[in-house]
Amino acid sequence: MLGSTADSLFWMFRYIERVENTLCMIESGFQLYLLSSSNLNNEWDAILRTNSIRHHFLKKNNSLDSLNIINFMLKDPKNFNNILILFDKARENARRSRVSITSEVWEAINTCWLYLNEELNKKINESKIQTIIKNTREKIALIFGFLERSMLKNEILNFCYLGTFIERFDNTVRILNTRYYLLLDEKKIRFEGYDNFQLEMILRSISSYRSFMWKNQNEIKANKVSYFLISDKDMPKSLMFCVNETIKNLKSVHKKNFPKNKSYQNALSIQKKIKQKSRNFNNYSFLNSLFKLNMTLAANIEEEFNFQ
Amino acid sequence: MTYFTKTYDEAFINENSVRTNYKKFISWYKNQDSDELTKINSDAMKFFENTGVSFKVYSSDKKENLIPFDIIPRIINSKEWDKLVKGITQRVLAINFFLTDIYGQQEIIKHGVIPVDLIQNNTAFLKQMIGFTPPNKTYNHISGIDLIKTNSDNFYVLEDNVRVPSGASYMIENRDTMIKLFPELISRYKVSENRNYAKYLSEILKKSSPKKSKINPNIVLLTPGIYNSAFFEHAFLADKLGVELVEGKDLRVINKYLNMKTINGWKRVDVIYRRIDDIFLDPLSFKEDSFLGVPGLMEVYRNKNVTIANAPGTGISDDKSIYSYIPDIIKFYLGQKPILKNVKTFKCRIKDELKYVLDNLNKLVVKEVHGSGGYGMLVGPLASKTEISKFKNKIKKNPYSYIAQPTLSLSTCPIYTKKGLTPRHVDLRCFALLAQEKVTVIGGGLTRVALKKGSLVVNSSQGGGTKDTWILSS
Repeated sequence: MLGSTADSLFWMFRYIERVENTLCMIESGFQLYLLSSSNLNNEWDAILRTNSIRHHFLKKNNSLDSLNIINFMLKDPKNFNNILILFDKARENARRSRVSITSEVWEAINTCWLYLNEELNKKINESKIQTIIKNTREKIALIFGFLERSMLKNEILNFCYLGTFIERFDNTVRILNTRYYLLLDEKKIRFEGYDNFQLEMILRSISSYRSFMWKNQNEIKANKVSYFLISDKDMPKSLMFCVNETIKNLKSVHKKNFPKNKSYQNALSIQKKIKQKSRNFNNYSFLNSLFKLNMTLAANIEEEFNFQ
Repeated sequence: MTYFTKTYDEAFINENSVRTNYKKFISWYKNQDSDELTKINSDAMKFFENTGVSFKVYSSDKKENLIPFDIIPRIINSKEWDKLVKGITQRVLAINFFLTDIYGQQEIIKHGVIPVDLIQNNTAFLKQMIGFTPPNKTYNHISGIDLIKTNSDNFYVLEDNVRVPSGASYMIENRDTMIKLFPELISRYKVSENRNYAKYLSEILKKSSPKKSKINPNIVLLTPGIYNSAFFEHAFLADKLGVELVEGKDLRVINKYLNMKTINGWKRVDVIYRRIDDIFLDPLSFKEDSFLGVPGLMEVYRNKNVTIANAPGTGISDDKSIYSYIPDIIKFYLGQKPILKNVKTFKCRIKDELKYVLDNLNKLVVKEVHGSGGYGMLVGPLASKTEISKFKNKIKKNPYSYIAQPTLSLSTCPIYTKKGLTPRHVDLRCFALLAQEKVTVIGGGLTRVALKKGSLVVNSSQGGGTKDTWILSS
């Protein structure tokens, strides 16, 4: 496989994953808006910080108006990480690697792109937001469905998954990073006014509220939420799950040489770090180091497989 | 809706009388529900949109366009087709002999068949190819021959495209679409298969490999990238061929061989099916600032360590100024009478012919010798007085760059509209593959149709569409 094809596959799925993650956050914010929640501003503030776009948004807007934020995140050209731009990049990479993906995967990506372009180029009114998010997420699920069902289980698929899990790890770590203070051990000082509601919002922002409640007998506690997001190996958005999947795919794509490679070694050290910290999560620097390690891991992969 | 056309129509003799080729089809058509057909017609476009079958028009921004597809097939019988196959085979072989000669001994010039200045002053003639014979002595591995019909008996050759002819992917997609839309209809006819194009293409590319690596050569398709107007086709064909789709940046010359950058390091390349023009192939030999090609590629080629299909320099033979000499070229190399006719062509480089052209611009189609895609062209009968006078000056300034042809009464075929069938002008691009002096003409081709009423311009960049082409088995 060409190094440049691996590059396209990797980035195609980073962008698709980023779109999915961004949509989940918009959805969680929009839910609060519909409930006219008093926590609305805090929530939007956290979402904008997580996506590193707060500064850009506030350059243009004086207040955290929900519909303005949603519009900004979905389609505003001033936001270089808007859904339209992100999906456009995903599709561009899909075109570049068209020969490596099946027609089913390609068509699923292309129809999602056509849908987003049609819907988001119109004026978005309040009543349509949920439909657009729901339909887009369904279309993304179709991409992953065809990826799983129609592709050969070879290195092509490995690069698609490496992109997916590196990006997902990045997203979860960002969410944790923005709100780490909510997850501090209960014995330590908590900010006043914060309650389980904020914890619930963290879970909703990654569409994992129901699965958390099911697993934890409907009881929300900070340490359980942090365990769920960081160390739970069954939870598809947890850091542990993401790094385990990354290791699995690296092993497969490196074949016999995997132990020697930097990327593999780096992934192992992330895994180890998470294991050590599993029930003792209390600091910002821990998350920050994971964030940086994940970035280095992505750079290792790019280098080892001749992406450029 | 009345079906009326002044020129030869391939389906109808008159409104009430259908030609033999179309009898079965028209009787099927008459039994169809028109609302249902309208729906199918729009489904077809949706199908193309979803699968991403698109092309881009240069100068427009990032926008991708769909080539309109018409659901009414164009039908050609086996007798007509057999003649086309023989004629195309003859041309393709003659062109290969011509190229071998023109870059070799130049016997054709010595015999006075072709004027020397036509070659010497031609930018499509590559000096870098002089005295070099490509691997397996093949230049034009892939040809796209454009044909038009003006009456019941004759197809004329309009152009021989042997640089980087495109359109095969649309031919295949059109057939796929027809089978999806009208499965019961296509099974009633014995229509010859054209979706085997990639299989034959793969065979000839393998055969064209330099000797050492013939068993399992590494073939790549070289594209200028995703912003090229024909990128869809490049990806489509690489996929069907099962080869890597590469850009210049993926390739490098290492130790006299061409290599591609894979996830496991460099891997040798044996055959390049290139979809970029000659001048971009190698910045060390041609355009210095080209990023699309590979520095040093020509040296690897000249050492016969890689095959380039089509060979660099092939373009000299499809130059519009050479076109008018193709019948002479056939006679010279094959000693045969041309099976397919050329369209009468006036060469502005010849004084008397220039005078005729300038005096009759309103009746003629004038083409730039190096132009393509319907650009740089004047359609006299449709042009305004100002346009004609502007063009007149252009020709006078540089008569060597122009040829002119009479306005041909291109045949028409029915297309589908909400109001019923209506005639539109068509042409036909046939694909021929050459390896080891054996030509394979793919059954059918790409019918291009001018969708605007009365228009003769079938190019997709200028409002043309396409149809599936059915060759009936005998």
